[in-house]
Amino acid sequence: MNKVMIKATGPFERIVHWCLAISCLILCASGMVMMYHSLQGFGTLVGGMAAVKTIHNYSGVFFAVSLFLALLVWWKEAGMFSSPEDWQWFKVAGGYLWKVDQMPEIGKYNPGQKLFFLTIVIFGTGMVVSGFFMWFPLGYEPGLIRFMYVLHALGFVIIFAFFWVHLYLVTLGAPGSASAMFTGWVSKGWARTQHPKWLREMEEKGTLVVYGKKGQSGRHC
Amino acid sequence: MKQELIKLIDLSRCTACRGCQVACKQWNELPASETHNFGSYQNPPDLEWNTWTLIRFQEYVDAQGRLQWLFRKDGCMHCTDAGCVKVCPTQALFHTEFGTVALNTDKCIGCKLCIFACPFNVPRFDEETKKISKCDLCQSRLQAGQPPACVLSCPTGALQIGAKDAMLAAAHRRVRELGGDASVYGEQFVEGTHVVYVLPEKAEVFEKLPAKPEIPTSIMVWKDILKPAGLLAAGTVVAGAFLHYITHGPKNPEEEINQEGGTQI
Repeated sequence: MNKVMIKATGPFERIVHWCLAISCLILCASGMVMMYHSLQGFGTLVGGMAAVKTIHNYSGVFFAVSLFLALLVWWKEAGMFSSPEDWQWFKVAGGYLWKVDQMPEIGKYNPGQKLFFLTIVIFGTGMVVSGFFMWFPLGYEPGLIRFMYVLHALGFVIIFAFFWVHLYLVTLGAPGSASAMFTGWVSKGWARTQHPKWLREMEEKGTLVVYGKKGQSGRHC
Repeated sequence: MKQELIKLIDLSRCTACRGCQVACKQWNELPASETHNFGSYQNPPDLEWNTWTLIRFQEYVDAQGRLQWLFRKDGCMHCTDAGCVKVCPTQALFHTEFGTVALNTDKCIGCKLCIFACPFNVPRFDEETKKISKCDLCQSRLQAGQPPACVLSCPTGALQIGAKDAMLAAAHRRVRELGGDASVYGEQFVEGTHVVYVLPEKAEVFEKLPAKPEIPTSIMVWKDILKPAGLLAAGTVVAGAFLHYITHGPKNPEEEINQEGGTQI
């Protein structure tokens, strides 16, 4: 590896990301086994449908905690859109759909990532709330519980679809991204292409951490 | 389907002896509950996990100011388009060869979805076994060619069971005999119930009996729209991603040559 690698994420960030990701995947899988009858056979793998339900419910708790931590970690950087570069980014569809000569100056998170984050926050919260009511539905207005079923299903439609967008971009769509959530290091070229404003700001502030460069610690959160 | 059966409940013949209630408990080995007097012969006050059928007692003053004592045998209506079967994630609730709705408790995971999908508010949750419980129209008896316990116990002929057509014909015959506000209740809802009432009064008069029972719209939105939409949306995204990859291609970073000694790979 001869590319210049720079520090993109800290260990806590990565742990929170993977807690959220793994719980979300378990929830999607177990939820689908309960939603689609043709997948019921997979329930046998974990000891039957009752176990699937138990796994789903407790993964939901794990997800809720992860979601809360994710909110703390990323709210400042990904929770708000910044003008005007984010709107310009939308106008050129992030450079993903057609050739763009001048890409807008994007910070640490591009508006697509922000949109993904906000979707997870909003619908994830919806999933946690509706899931809680579905877990303990007795004693509430039937109309309320039925609304929670619809909300839960809607949240699944959105989150599951977005998951595939996320997976595609991080693997095939935007090569070089995935390492940010594995090792925490990304190449400088990648940062310049994807998040030029973020790179420039770090260079200006002197917070840029380059792998292997003397006098700089490789750790920061 | 072997033969579609209908249990006909002719409320004009019901004397509220509650023989059916007791026979149901006996055959299905359902224990009694300790209840309290709330000023009615109706006991227990509502359907329970261990009370699959219940005679409801109702004092009703009609338009002419006459007091009537109405009795209604409540319980599972065994819908053709059954909300409980529709939402059950494990197919624990299923249609039998008689068109009735039975429950395989081994498969039940106690998710309680059926409670909220039922237009008649029938399924009950057993806190002890953590499973759902409801009338299966004595499936084991039907399979043996026997009438359900409630029907067998009925001394007045208010309860009958038989082939769908014969029962519906009998119901309409009886309604014609009764005249007035009498009506047949059940065949016109949820694609036909397998428990049909002969109501001596308008359906609206009876407590806890929905005038127009149907699977709640929210349940339909969930199961008929959002459920397929989940796969459709994900499939569209995957197809779109593939199309993007083969047409536009990935967004590759413009790697810089490492001034500190590296090279572009």
